[in-house]
Amino acid sequence: MRKFLGPVVLNLFAWTTILAVAFPLFWMLVTSVKPQSELFRRPPTMLPESWTFEHYWHLLTQTNFLVYFRNSVMLSTVTTLLVVGVATLGAYSLVRFRYRGREGLAFLVLFTYLLPSVVLIIPLYLMLVSLGLSNTLFSLVIAYTTFALPYALWLMRSFMAGVPDDLEYAAMVDGATRMGAFVDVILPQLLPGIISTALFTFILSWNEYLYALVLVNSDEARPLTTGVMNMLISSFNIEWSLLMAASVMMSVPLIIVFAFLQSYLTRGFGAGAVKG
Amino acid sequence: MANVDFRTVTKSFGSFTALHGLDLSIKAGEFVALLGPSGCGKTTTLRMLAGLEFPTTGDIIIGDRRVNDLPPGERDIAMVFQSYALYPHMTVAENIAYPLKKRGVPKAERGPMVAKTAEMLHLTALLDRKPKQLSGGQQQRVALGRALIRDPKVFLLDEPLSNLDAKLRGQLRAELIELHRRLGRTMVYVTHDQLEAMTMADRIAIMEGGNLQQFAPPAEVYARPANRFVAGFIGTPGMTLVDGALVKSGSDWCFEHAGLRLAVPALDGGAAAGPAAFGIRPEDVHLGKGDLTGEIVLTEATGHETIVTLAIAPGVRVIARVAGTPALRMGERVPVWLDTTQAHVFAAGPHGRRLNNSSGAASAQPSIAAPLRVASKGVVS
Ligand SMILES: Nc1ncnc2c1ncn2[C@@H]1O[C@H](COP(=O)(O)OP(=O)(O)O)[C@@H](O)[C@H]1O
Ligand SMILES: [Mg+2]
Repeated sequence: MRKFLGPVVLNLFAWTTILAVAFPLFWMLVTSVKPQSELFRRPPTMLPESWTFEHYWHLLTQTNFLVYFRNSVMLSTVTTLLVVGVATLGAYSLVRFRYRGREGLAFLVLFTYLLPSVVLIIPLYLMLVSLGLSNTLFSLVIAYTTFALPYALWLMRSFMAGVPDDLEYAAMVDGATRMGAFVDVILPQLLPGIISTALFTFILSWNEYLYALVLVNSDEARPLTTGVMNMLISSFNIEWSLLMAASVMMSVPLIIVFAFLQSYLTRGFGAGAVKG
Repeated sequence: MANVDFRTVTKSFGSFTALHGLDLSIKAGEFVALLGPSGCGKTTTLRMLAGLEFPTTGDIIIGDRRVNDLPPGERDIAMVFQSYALYPHMTVAENIAYPLKKRGVPKAERGPMVAKTAEMLHLTALLDRKPKQLSGGQQQRVALGRALIRDPKVFLLDEPLSNLDAKLRGQLRAELIELHRRLGRTMVYVTHDQLEAMTMADRIAIMEGGNLQQFAPPAEVYARPANRFVAGFIGTPGMTLVDGALVKSGSDWCFEHAGLRLAVPALDGGAAAGPAAFGIRPEDVHLGKGDLTGEIVLTEATGHETIVTLAIAPGVRVIARVAGTPALRMGERVPVWLDTTQAHVFAAGPHGRRLNNSSGAASAQPSIAAPLRVASKGVVS
């Protein structure tokens, strides 16, 4: 009896959790395809009685949605590339080279996380203004890089530390330059780390709201988060159906990125080649 | 194939000196083992030769070229790492071909060369596998293959057998000996296992504490250890070493300690009366006859022989090696004869130099080297 009950309870718990997490997503999807007339009906309809894509169509043709979308894609992609590049090279330096203050530097980087990011907004804003970068996508790239980089550096550092020195030395003995050895041998070992870092950075940049709100207030440079809020939520009204349609479309890139990279993340970590 | 010279090479890591003025001349085509306890600087020496570490002072010569400032890839060496260091994301074939690729050998030529090397190392069936799908012995062969595919001036091997179990190690040892004979390349082989060094090397460089202790053929190292450290390090079970004093009686030297008075072989001209150490190998200690009496303290039977520890004077124990498993009881007192013509005499101190260079049987067979140079036909899989 007990043996039977255990799994049942466990399953019940797991499915309840999944339902609780998934329901808002389901409701978002359903609401986005309901006609306006059905939105506030009581009792609410679980599945829409009639389907419509008018909200999507409206967003894509009548609003700035595509501009914001393009901004978000650019912003997140550039930030991700920058963070992954700098973090990988930085981690290589922190792990492979010996120099004074190396450990201190690594901890200093982590230390920056102790400051709440809200505290940094105004100084950063003033700095970007004086650099003439306010209201540009690039200002957001810089801001997001500053939050993502410390964590990315630590993540990559731990992956880097897991790559045996001998691999690189072997490649150098085999005729590669240091850079060649890095590209041929080290980089492939770091792939799972690079993917984790890229996902982390991309999601962070895609979802960030506060800095986008403060640093950018022109429609040309707004990303999706602030753009959609600005467009659909006013003090008097919330455009629920449009908001849900926008949310669905905002989620799609993340779902694609996850689906594509997840298999890399779980794939073998190249262990077993070096003994000892 | 090229000679290798270390000319007064020193290596310091910060304030710690790992290598003190190493002078070592390796002949072209020679198989040299660097032997010594852990931490004595073997790997450091090899890595400097490879260009992965730079000497603090001194010169390293390969062929007739000073290579101090050459990066590893330009030294024309091949190295087998203790960890194998196979590239995990590449197949066996790609691993073996990598040094060729990096040296600009066209793809069309690489294929046949990989096939040939794989055949020599019995890896043909494994070419498409990734390293982690291989056993330790197979990985070892791939690491060797990656080194052997080229025709470098010098092969460097850093404890390549230390991760393997005893049986596999025996087989691969034999295969390496055969390989060296077939290729005739200069090889520098690092090990802390004296059996490997004794069986494989043309000459052994014994190191300790960053200093070269002796550089000589295995038989010489065994029969005429250059100093007390080497005497104690080489041989299993080890040489019995007793600290005492040299005294002159008439024209002959004697060794005295704790009431013992032992004859010693002819000493070098520089020998002087005073503190010294007397050494004798277990095979030169004979039981059942002789003018000394020993009390049996310990017997260790290994089957074909028995190692017997005897107390011959207060605080003086010698080890004897007796064939078979004779009936000996603990505490039994037996006559003991030390064949002092085979004895070794060293100056005082842990690195005291050998004082009887003019004597000592250079012809004595090293008895630890049991499976001496047997080519194996067995293939490890
Ligand atoms: N990069 C390094 N930094 C500091 N000390 C080192 C370094 N590499 C080796 N050593 C020291 O040098 C000595 C010799 O090391 P090594 O050559 O690796 O010895 P082994 O004979 O066991 O191969 C050791 O005491 C080791 O701790
Ligand atoms: Mg070592």
